[in-house]
Amino acid sequence: MTRGPLFHEQTARQRIAALVDPGSFDELLPPPERITSPYLAQLGIPVSFDDGVVIGHAKIGGRKVYLAAQVGQFVGGAVGEIHGAKLTGLFKAAARDRTPCIVIVESGGVRLHEGSAGEIAIAETMRAIFECRAKKVPTIAVICSDIGAYGGMGILSTCCDFRVMTEHGRLGISGPIVIEKWMGKKAYDSSNRALVWKTSGGKTKYLLGDADSLVLDDAGAIREAISKLLGKSSAVSLKAVKARQAELAKRLKRFGQTEDADAVWKGMGVRDIEAASLASGPEFAAMAKREK
Amino acid sequence: MTAANLALRRQNKAKRLQKVGRLARGKFVSPDNVPQVLKRIIEPGDILCLEGDNQKQADFLASQLASLERKDLRDIHLVMSCITLPAHIQLFKKGMIRQVDFCYAGPQGTAVADLVKAKKFPVGAIHTYNELYARYYIDLTPRVALIAAAQADRKGNLFLAANTEETPAIVEPTAFSDGIVFAQVNEIVDTLPRIDIPADQVDLVVQAPYPMHLQALFTRDPAAITDVQVLMAMVALRGIYEKYGVQSLNHGVGFNTAAIELLLPTYGERLGLKGKICKYWMVNPLPTMIPAIESGWVESVFAVGGEVGMERYTAAHSDVFFTGRDGSFHSNRAMGQLAGHYGIDMFIGASLQVDINGNSSTVSKNRITGFGGAPNMGCQPAGRRHPTEAWLKVGAEANPGPGSPPGRKLVVQMVETFQAGRVPTFVEELDAQDPSIRKALHGVTPVMIYGDDVTHIVTEEGIANLAACRSIAERQAAIRSVAGYTPVGLKRRKRDTEELRRRGIVQFPEDVGVSPREASRSLLAAQDIKGLVRWSNGLYDPPPQFVDW
Amino acid sequence: MEKFTKAFPSKPLKARTAKPWALAGVVGSGNLEVLLERAGASGTMECHVETSIPGYKSSWLAALADFATHYPAGGTKVTIHDQGAPPVLVNLRLRQAYDHLTGGDK
Repeated sequence: MTRGPLFHEQTARQRIAALVDPGSFDELLPPPERITSPYLAQLGIPVSFDDGVVIGHAKIGGRKVYLAAQVGQFVGGAVGEIHGAKLTGLFKAAARDRTPCIVIVESGGVRLHEGSAGEIAIAETMRAIFECRAKKVPTIAVICSDIGAYGGMGILSTCCDFRVMTEHGRLGISGPIVIEKWMGKKAYDSSNRALVWKTSGGKTKYLLGDADSLVLDDAGAIREAISKLLGKSSAVSLKAVKARQAELAKRLKRFGQTEDADAVWKGMGVRDIEAASLASGPEFAAMAKREK
Repeated sequence: MTAANLALRRQNKAKRLQKVGRLARGKFVSPDNVPQVLKRIIEPGDILCLEGDNQKQADFLASQLASLERKDLRDIHLVMSCITLPAHIQLFKKGMIRQVDFCYAGPQGTAVADLVKAKKFPVGAIHTYNELYARYYIDLTPRVALIAAAQADRKGNLFLAANTEETPAIVEPTAFSDGIVFAQVNEIVDTLPRIDIPADQVDLVVQAPYPMHLQALFTRDPAAITDVQVLMAMVALRGIYEKYGVQSLNHGVGFNTAAIELLLPTYGERLGLKGKICKYWMVNPLPTMIPAIESGWVESVFAVGGEVGMERYTAAHSDVFFTGRDGSFHSNRAMGQLAGHYGIDMFIGASLQVDINGNSSTVSKNRITGFGGAPNMGCQPAGRRHPTEAWLKVGAEANPGPGSPPGRKLVVQMVETFQAGRVPTFVEELDAQDPSIRKALHGVTPVMIYGDDVTHIVTEEGIANLAACRSIAERQAAIRSVAGYTPVGLKRRKRDTEELRRRGIVQFPEDVGVSPREASRSLLAAQDIKGLVRWSNGLYDPPPQFVDW
Repeated sequence: MEKFTKAFPSKPLKARTAKPWALAGVVGSGNLEVLLERAGASGTMECHVETSIPGYKSSWLAALADFATHYPAGGTKVTIHDQGAPPVLVNLRLRQAYDHLTGGDK
């Protein structure tokens, strides 16, 4: 029962190396260029050579892609000015070159120390993502760690054509602690890890259609899921947006009042909650499909 | 002298129980009456035993005791394993306690240090578990024992479930010396699954309004194991387990040894060690042992206590764990400690501080914790006579003199050179040597494991084989050699380290065939709690704080 | 924050390496990143350290000096961003960066 390194435990650079064709990654603005955050340095916080995001281009199955991987350990993967500019530039280049763009997300959102710059960068990146989508250039967010995709990065992730998730990944806008702070511990106990994952984890997001694939916590499986999506794009049309809104309205009506996290799973056709909880990503996906 | 004068204690016991009168129906007391009953059965000057170790607590009885005032209860000689509840601290604050003899004060370590400073903690001595149980039969025999059980039947027989722990060690000396045994139980039933304590030894029973407190003490989340701990685990496996052929052992509760357990089915298997090492264990049902058990490494496990969530798993694996006729898990702290003292090749554990002579301690000026069971296992049992391969091999290295035994138990301290927050583990002098602490303990420094007993120290830098050292100076040089970049380590002399390395007394990872760059969490058989549940085929039920699915 | 720079004598690095630079580790609580580059005089390993926890300069220098003694690292520049890593990680990251520089990524 031994296996390779778990994807959610790898560093951003290891993840890129594990996903792309061997030796094909070319880093843009690599560490020796030392483009680090001037704000953090002023605040006496250690800086990082890549400012928390590694970007570049590589090949997956011989096909060129642009690729970014956030470093969750570095200030929670938060987006500062340089970090954000790297993301914006990458998606702009993807649109320009009509080359698919993948972002491995691990971030709580905007870096508070450089708030406005981060906010603006995320907005600009979203604009670049929609430029890609208008040109039918596939954009994919991979969300596979418990830091997940929250705040601006949660929104940004849902702007992409597709989301690949694992059971470890989480996706949302307000983080659990923020929700608890505003709604009270009775409404949402952020220390209840089971509740947090039942509401924002990969399995639930897959059931609700927010994640397009739910895969094993393994580079090979994630690479395979990406490969399948690289040829596709999901156009932004008024019809598609309206359909999605109708879906969301239905979901709200159905589950908006429930206080039982399991109710969503049951409502979506998962019968054996305990078995589904313990199942791996793909097993869960198969169970959900079978029992629907 | 008349015959009546020869059984004064028995007469006194009868008198106390008579005073309880209608506050009990037979043996059974209602929860509301407990304070009144306690007032009537405990007298000034009594030795009072309150059951409570690091896992299981007679917490309802403790809280009722603490609800009394000094006028109701005073001049008490308290004997108990672990001071762990706020209620225990209350007894001291209210001035009820004349003397206390105990083993361990984990969660209340800071409160105990404060009481010592305020001179409100009249301690007799800090003991190891078996040492205190031994004194229950000699000079600390309880007059009254307040204990905890899972269930009682209508006669007062008790079922202790997975957490037998220290109950028999308390009940026997009390019941057989005309003392009073008062049990709190979670429920009263018609038929018990099995009888652990016969009704004959039980005087009073109360069904507590809430189930007794059980601490999930041995649950270590593999997700928190670091690459450095994996490195140390690899070094220990090759440099000690493999080298000496360790068959029987005890593991501490830290992440270092959890890493070793999780490496057995992966790295250990690759080294071809299955069936050669780690067959017989004296250890609680550690969830991190599940992968090794499932992979067929483990012949047997005997435990001093249970572990929350392991009930179904242990019941399903009765070939490995000791179980009752009813099929459920059984533990016994006194017998487990005895087994760990005499019956095993190796004890391996961690500590907060190690001094240059190899003495270790978890006591600091602001936190007095005590010992628990580690010193019983982490020592050379002078009464041991049976040989094993490992025992003889270490003995040969230690070069015993004509007046000493031919073998030695492996007593291994496995520590990172720094604790969290860059606090060095290695120190010239232990905090425990603080004069105020020594004074409170009648001149005794609370040393967890003495340097003379330690055979090996493992750090991320390598192994120091203290058993093979020929002098105190050599031992100190060996310790400095593996103390890394702590102030103690920085004082090492390169020439000494090289000489000790040449003689195999100091070994670096590469000397035992371990490449540090291989050390990675990906070697662990399970990387998180969910992985353990999967290995257990769904039989392990982790406590809620560990569940994220 | 504490910053310091020091060069240590070290045997020259081999003439050909797989890459001109290598990075190991990440900046995060209790962790650090090490950038190892081919640069400078062939007989020294030039170190630049930035650490969030001041007051441990002597153990840093001892760890770096040991590395320069054990590995031929002359003609390299080491830059470290540290967020409170224990010395053992300093050593491990240096080795990892060195392996990547000389042998290429695994």
